[in-house]
Amino acid sequence: MIEALQYFTIAWFDPKLLGLVALGTFAGIYVGAIPGLSVTMAVSILISFTFAWDVYPALCLMVGIYMGGVYGGSRTAILLNIPGAPSAIATALDGYPLAQKGKAGEAIGLSTVMSFVGGFIGIGVLALAAPFVSEFALTFQPRDYMLLAILGILLVGSLSGESLLKGVFAGSLGLLIGAVGLDPLTAQERFTFGVVELWGGISFIAVMIGLFGVSEALMQLHHIDKAAVKQTIGRIVPSWGAIWKYLPLSIQTSSIGVIIGALPGTGGDIAALMAYDHAKRVTKSPDVPFGQGAQEGLVAPETANNAAVGGAFIPMLTLGIPGDAVTAIIIGALFIHGLNPGPMLMIEQPQMFWFITGALVLANIFMLIFGLTGIRLFTKIVEMPRTVLIPLILLLSIVGAYAVNNSITDVYWMLLFGAFGYLLKTYGYQVGPVILGVILSRLIDENWRRAIISDQESLGLLLRGIVTSPLSLVLLLAVLFIFFSQTPLWTGWRARRAALRASGDGI
Amino acid sequence: MHDPTKKKPGETAFAAALVGLSGFLLWQAWGIAGFEALSSPGAFPMAVTFAMLVSSGVILLKTLRLTAREPVGFFSDIAPPVILIMFAMMLGYALLLKPFGFLPTSLLFLTLSVFGLRRRGLLWSFGISLFSLALVYLIFRIVFSVLMPSGIVPEGEILAWLGNLFSGETAQ
Repeated sequence: MIEALQYFTIAWFDPKLLGLVALGTFAGIYVGAIPGLSVTMAVSILISFTFAWDVYPALCLMVGIYMGGVYGGSRTAILLNIPGAPSAIATALDGYPLAQKGKAGEAIGLSTVMSFVGGFIGIGVLALAAPFVSEFALTFQPRDYMLLAILGILLVGSLSGESLLKGVFAGSLGLLIGAVGLDPLTAQERFTFGVVELWGGISFIAVMIGLFGVSEALMQLHHIDKAAVKQTIGRIVPSWGAIWKYLPLSIQTSSIGVIIGALPGTGGDIAALMAYDHAKRVTKSPDVPFGQGAQEGLVAPETANNAAVGGAFIPMLTLGIPGDAVTAIIIGALFIHGLNPGPMLMIEQPQMFWFITGALVLANIFMLIFGLTGIRLFTKIVEMPRTVLIPLILLLSIVGAYAVNNSITDVYWMLLFGAFGYLLKTYGYQVGPVILGVILSRLIDENWRRAIISDQESLGLLLRGIVTSPLSLVLLLAVLFIFFSQTPLWTGWRARRAALRASGDGI
Repeated sequence: MHDPTKKKPGETAFAAALVGLSGFLLWQAWGIAGFEALSSPGAFPMAVTFAMLVSSGVILLKTLRLTAREPVGFFSDIAPPVILIMFAMMLGYALLLKPFGFLPTSLLFLTLSVFGLRRRGLLWSFGISLFSLALVYLIFRIVFSVLMPSGIVPEGEILAWLGNLFSGETAQ
């Protein structure tokens, strides 16, 4: 216990690590707050610069960016009705009406404090639950890992995009990219086309920066002529009364956030929307109707999306399965730093777990400090012209892709994936499942082979193993349900139910 | 935002290209180990490329069935000149990075792109680019110690000279 506490506080007493968490949180908030720049983009570009570092400083920066970025997205959702991140979509529903009423400062202050509350609850659950989850995960069979990873990709594919089919394609493409190179078990070449440089596979960083950095920056070029919006924000520190009033709701919605965040494949965006829906159902008589500036509608998504950060670290650290695109990138970075997220991490390197938890707490505190201060600087940065910002992002993307291996080939791969990602996005495909696929490719491949070898190469035996194990069965049913939920049978039933409910409300 | 009920210019061609790519990759995956065994190195790639082929095939069929078109053009909205030029400039940057080095290539890239996008005078673009580059250099090269090609600028010597200057000062 004392050892855990020691590791937990490493970053607290080391000025360099403390500074890096602060820097990461600051960068996360401000990048997240600039419309069009997502936290995924910030993490993917900035992480590439940390690979030459020791693991502790790198983790500090990553954790800070993630925590700050999830919160930062709410700023533009409130001020401009443009969510800075998908997890802030629900925040805009009531945050923007509040800003229109001249209560932008109040809304920002409340969302900051509530994000802080949510963040703490998420981290608390992570610290308490992760050791048990990882112990439970030790009982997982290879087939369970395989099913869980497939479930994660399908969930990201089906929930974030316009169609499951496009999600399946994007996820499969990611799995394929992850399979390029020498087979880890037999050293047989796969998709290398005789090119020796491809033996080590395609650089994960190049794929990541291409898909999230370059393609997003290219998309932003469409809006290059839009003038930066001038911000006017008054007092932002909320009153104790307001915080006290919404505390019970924030605890409820934090619980939703942390549970949704902990499910593989679901992240802050879904958590925020579900929390918003929950707030709408439990708040019988809001002071202002929902959608017109109800503070409950702001509190719920903001607590949930930050609670989901702690939640998302649970499957990431205990199972090695990312919850969303950002955690996929962080897992990739952990691999490069020689760490192997999964149940063994908690047993072999518990210090890493406690260190990350400690850094998360710090990031949460810095988020509160930076969130409630520096409004002048904030308006200056958000008003920075895109005509300067986008060339800078493109420049940093190239530098980031080059810096990892000092290889210009990686830069070409990045450009290729940048152009491809741009086309994918333009035609309605999500790029999140691609990066999840790249990260999970090896895990699925290895576990599939382990599972089928232990079942003597028999699909029948494998299937029997699945249906006779409660965990495997639940996972298989969840995978099947995702496909079933796209059939006309299910969508028709949902539509009929919604119509019935609407007519019931009408009465 | 993409409207799934309407077709964008180039969408059918893109969907068809994905089917072609998936088919080619499935054939490549089959070439790894064929149907040798379920645990062979080719089994997973075959399953994945098969999923790609099936999903892209259905997407193509659905796209072909769409009749409503979005009122946009390929070279005016999907790939307008600004995007093509910026992409070409990034390619140029990648080509020049090694021979010329990070500092001159970046300054050229930033100045030209800011000038092209902002159209506010070459000197202004140069000034803002120089300032931004100095900031990037300070953060990433000096603080984060990221190595970049020095090219024609004797960067190592300059940094060593600066280092000596400061260490000399402290020694005195």
